[in-house]
Amino acid sequence: MLRLLGRRARAQWPLLGALLAVVALGATLLGTCALLVTSTADRAYEVAAARAAPDDVRVTAYTVTVPSAHARSVAADTRELLTSTLAPFPTTTATRASSALRTLPEELAGRTGMPTETYLSAMDDLPTRAALVDGRWPRAAAGGGDAPLEAVLLEPTARLLRLTLGSRVRLGAELHSDPAPAVEVTVVGVVRPLPGTGWDRDPLGGAGYDLAFSDGRQPQLVHAYGPVVVDLADLLSGRHTVDRMELTAQPDLSAAGRADLEAVAGSVQGADRRLAGILGDRVRIENLDSPLPQTLRTARDQQRVTAATVLAVALLGGVLTATALALASRLTAGVRADETGLLAALGFSRNRLAAGAAVEAGTLALLAAALAVPASSLLHAGLTRIPPLSAAGLAGPPAVTTTQVLVVIGAVLVLAVVLVLLAARPVAPATDRRDPRALLARSGADVLLVAFAGVGLWQLHAQASGADARVDVVRVLAPTLLLVAGVALVLRMVPLALHGAERLVRRARGLALPLAVFEAARRPRAVAAGLLVGLACSAATFGIAFGATWERSQHDQAGLSVGTDLAIVLTTPPVAGQGVTVGAATGGTVSPAAGRGIAIGQWLGTAGDAPRLVALDTSRAEALLRGRLDGDRSWAEVGGALAPSSRVVGVAVPARSALTLSGTATGETPLVVTPRVLVQDATGLRTTCTAPPVPLDGAVHRLPECVPAEGLEIVAVSLPIAADPAAGPPGPGRSEVAVTLDAPGAVLPAGAPPWTATSAPPAPGQLTGSAVALAGTASGARLNMTTTVQLAGPEAAARNLVATAFPVPEAVPVAVSARLLDELGTRRGANLSISVGATAVPVVVAEVVPEVPSAPGSVAVLADLDAISRALVVAGNLEYPVDGWWVGRPARSDAVARVAALHVGTTTTRAGEAERLRGGPLRAGLPAALRLLVPAAVLLLVAGTVLHVLVDLRARAVEVARLRGLGMTRREVRQVLFGQYAGLLLSLVLAGTAVGALATGVVAPPLIRSDLGAAPVPPVVPHWPWAAEAALCALLVAGCLLAVAVVVTVRTRRADAGYLRVSG
Amino acid sequence: MSTVPLLSVRGVERRFGVGPTAVHALRDVSFDVQGGTMVALVGRSGSGKTTLLNVVGGLDRPDAGTVVVDGTDVTALDEDGLSRLRRATVGYVFQTFGLIPVLSAAENVGAPLRLARTPAAERERRVELLLELVGLADHAQQRPAELSGGQQQRVAIARALAASPRLLIADEPTGQLDAETGLSVMSLLRGVVESEGVTVLVATHDPVMMALAERVIRIQDGRLDAEPAGSAPG
Repeated sequence: MLRLLGRRARAQWPLLGALLAVVALGATLLGTCALLVTSTADRAYEVAAARAAPDDVRVTAYTVTVPSAHARSVAADTRELLTSTLAPFPTTTATRASSALRTLPEELAGRTGMPTETYLSAMDDLPTRAALVDGRWPRAAAGGGDAPLEAVLLEPTARLLRLTLGSRVRLGAELHSDPAPAVEVTVVGVVRPLPGTGWDRDPLGGAGYDLAFSDGRQPQLVHAYGPVVVDLADLLSGRHTVDRMELTAQPDLSAAGRADLEAVAGSVQGADRRLAGILGDRVRIENLDSPLPQTLRTARDQQRVTAATVLAVALLGGVLTATALALASRLTAGVRADETGLLAALGFSRNRLAAGAAVEAGTLALLAAALAVPASSLLHAGLTRIPPLSAAGLAGPPAVTTTQVLVVIGAVLVLAVVLVLLAARPVAPATDRRDPRALLARSGADVLLVAFAGVGLWQLHAQASGADARVDVVRVLAPTLLLVAGVALVLRMVPLALHGAERLVRRARGLALPLAVFEAARRPRAVAAGLLVGLACSAATFGIAFGATWERSQHDQAGLSVGTDLAIVLTTPPVAGQGVTVGAATGGTVSPAAGRGIAIGQWLGTAGDAPRLVALDTSRAEALLRGRLDGDRSWAEVGGALAPSSRVVGVAVPARSALTLSGTATGETPLVVTPRVLVQDATGLRTTCTAPPVPLDGAVHRLPECVPAEGLEIVAVSLPIAADPAAGPPGPGRSEVAVTLDAPGAVLPAGAPPWTATSAPPAPGQLTGSAVALAGTASGARLNMTTTVQLAGPEAAARNLVATAFPVPEAVPVAVSARLLDELGTRRGANLSISVGATAVPVVVAEVVPEVPSAPGSVAVLADLDAISRALVVAGNLEYPVDGWWVGRPARSDAVARVAALHVGTTTTRAGEAERLRGGPLRAGLPAALRLLVPAAVLLLVAGTVLHVLVDLRARAVEVARLRGLGMTRREVRQVLFGQYAGLLLSLVLAGTAVGALATGVVAPPLIRSDLGAAPVPPVVPHWPWAAEAALCALLVAGCLLAVAVVVTVRTRRADAGYLRVSG
Repeated sequence: MSTVPLLSVRGVERRFGVGPTAVHALRDVSFDVQGGTMVALVGRSGSGKTTLLNVVGGLDRPDAGTVVVDGTDVTALDEDGLSRLRRATVGYVFQTFGLIPVLSAAENVGAPLRLARTPAAERERRVELLLELVGLADHAQQRPAELSGGQQQRVAIARALAASPRLLIADEPTGQLDAETGLSVMSLLRGVVESEGVTVLVATHDPVMMALAERVIRIQDGRLDAEPAGSAPG
């Protein structure tokens, strides 16, 4: 038997070679996919951790109220815990601490009648967090004991306290239950905080002072100045109570292994409990916080989402391979039919024949595995060296893994079993009438396939809204089931089309075309060949369209999540003129933007999902907003419906103009006003300048610098009127108040509407007869504001005269997300009230959009920032609700770097986010797998076509010779054969393409998930890349027809009189 | 009767292979066949009958000699010329019938007419006539697999006659048929000689067929034997 097998192998080596190639190709594909979901996925996990933003992997321990005696040990123990928690990764730690409040000598801040307090602060790496304006950095006190501490102050602190280099200040005892004694400091430097370096966690936010600071000890507000920044060693020396201390550990994950990452994630999760145990009673409160476990969990979720799709691709490749193998093996069995019959006649039992087939299949499997293991390693290594894997940092040398070898061996064994089973099946006689049982079996299989595909599709759509990142069997199976079922159905349709063509050509004159059509329509179809061609074509077109849809979805998600082309989230309060700086850095359309949680009426949203307000300059919505709109609407149309009809034109004031305020009040109660001036820059950014209380004593008082840059306009002034606290409680009665604000150098706006005076809620009746008048003076402009104050009544905050350069606005028109409409059951035109901070703003629903940019999936409101600001201002809230900058169409290629250099906040770009979603290490496996699928499908399709045509023509050689005997020329015979195969191929390619398109339409949307495993927002829209698909189809058809033409030409030349002589 | 033979074979040689293992299938074969006659070519298997028929019909080329069919030197024709010859002048009937399996009986018969680009209406009339001639008018839409061997051979004869050939070559047309069916096929061939005036060259082992022929040519090891008495050249 073995000798027979050997001889047959030598005689039929081309056939066996084809079988070996198919098995090896399939096993290589599966082996490569195995490497993608194992070693590449592990590497991706590690690279993702290494590339994670520092803030996403840091571990921070917070301790509150550490008695002076324990300050140093608490810091040391906390540092030790953090370092051990993050072991074995190298870790750098940074400490920031501030002391309990101390009193300041009254003479420093001037006698205001209010308590004046300060505090010490210290931090690691001070020179990286502040710029030295004057002097030098503080050094630790050399003498210890009672020696004065060296300190630096922030610019505003030094200026307001009139402290200079060398000044010595005695800070009073701590305002604490166990107060540390007074301490003396020497000012050795003045610094300016660097944005984005953690000053937001300073008790005064890095502002240097707060004239209305709540120290948490007394109901009365105090004047707070600080910090007084000393060396960390001094702060922890045991002479100061540490009010708050945070220790941040930053692990270096650049060479992290998966196992270590998992171990550290677990360790971090238990670290809070360990910290409490270690610190015990030495601190009042301790807490450990880290986004590291969540960052790694998110990475694992993304890994699973990618793995599910890679496995779906692998399954599709496996089914394709099995189909190709089934075709090849049936053709082999057909070629060997006579030989098998002869062997059976010679007494070879069926078992013996099956054993022979098993030996042959086993040998093929062995050879295929020997080829597929190195081939898949090389292919995988090659894949990692081209984008997107190379760009994701996943390039690696060829490697062999146990999982890969097991998958390859498993694949070749399964394929070998398929080979044996097919070889053991009796060969059907070549008639044009089919066995009814076979037809019934095929019909049953088709029905089952369609049923399974339907269930799979239903399940896929049923789970589409869930946020589950697990590798789900439905997601893996559904695409293959749908494609196979679709092609099976299409194979039922192709004969119908061919029969239609047959009727058309029946009365034609010539022979070539009708014979080709008759042959195509009437010859018993090779189901395996049709299935392979249809399935390969549908898989390839589906692969391309799925990839394009996935890419489009990532772009859509990126566009919607960022909301604009470049978004900056501010880490420090914006300063006037910043918009111009951002504009110069980016070269784009710039708008201040708000993005924050709000309440809608009394509704705070569902848990963890508060309604969001997104506000910006909607008059430039087309340039600024990104995200898909429904219908034919544009963002310009939506924005146009929200924007105020005209821009606010205020009083233009030159930079550093010395604003002065004077006022008088009738009656016996001395009154003060705390002026707040709202200025607007060219980009629409409004900043508030708050002055200390000014007595209405008729004198002229200079206000703090409110106009730090050129191009600013005063657009509103708020004057909360209160009794002078130094004069005791106000008496009953009224007071006529007249206040004048002078702006030297200011220019009156031409043609601007008059200013409006209002009394802010909640008790606007406390002010009556309010009026405002803007007039020019010899030196600039003057605002005269008058009102009558009702002094009686409980509401101190209610006596707020607000003068604005714009009229009192109506309800603010807003666009709401479709989800808001669903959740609240409201409608277009409805009036709502949203709470921005503590201020209620009436709004009217003017537009409904599918999603609000930067708030995907949220209950969200889109509004014009100017309109919102106007509504807030007339309500007495001059805080401009700005959280960042949005930049549309940035012209500069280095915009991100330039913005980063401004140190104003964190920058996100739409392109960067799309790149992260598309080409991040945890996502890049998907397009890489699709890159495998498409060429594999094309290769199997062309190979299958050649094999089928070759064997078919060999079997039909006699028929070809008969046609020659009838007088057909070789060219005519070629035309018949070529036309027949071309017709079938074209039909199958078209049908396969249709199935691919259908599968893209119904499978791609539920199959594509967000990076967290949830349904993407905005929803996936199937994308059919016409050019790429047309090119693919052209390539498939051209490749197959070329192969068919070659085979037909060769076989036609050979099938001549020789065959007639043999057969006839 | 015309004295110009319809078929003239002169000094035809055909050899397969080269060197000492070469097989001489035909050696210096010469004979003439007059038009409108039926000639039986008789010999054992491997004697060269099929080779001679293939050479005469232009399916094979001789290594030497000439074959003239209806005034055309077949050996001088190129591939297209040979195809035209088989299309218009020579009809073939194979032992295995040689029908196209996917075509119905009528379509098989109409195939040569399609090759000649005969208009559909005329083609259909001719097919109908021929099927009636071979007694298969009721089986026109059946495919070869649905016909008996004898019926298939009748269809093959009808197809061979479709283009009104001058010479009909039949290679053991009754070889796969039982005696009774074979006899009917032989009668049919004899009938078409008489009704259509076609010249038939038929390779056969069958004595009945020999008896129906006007002339019997014997071939042995590629050479023609002397013709028996009474077998006058047709």
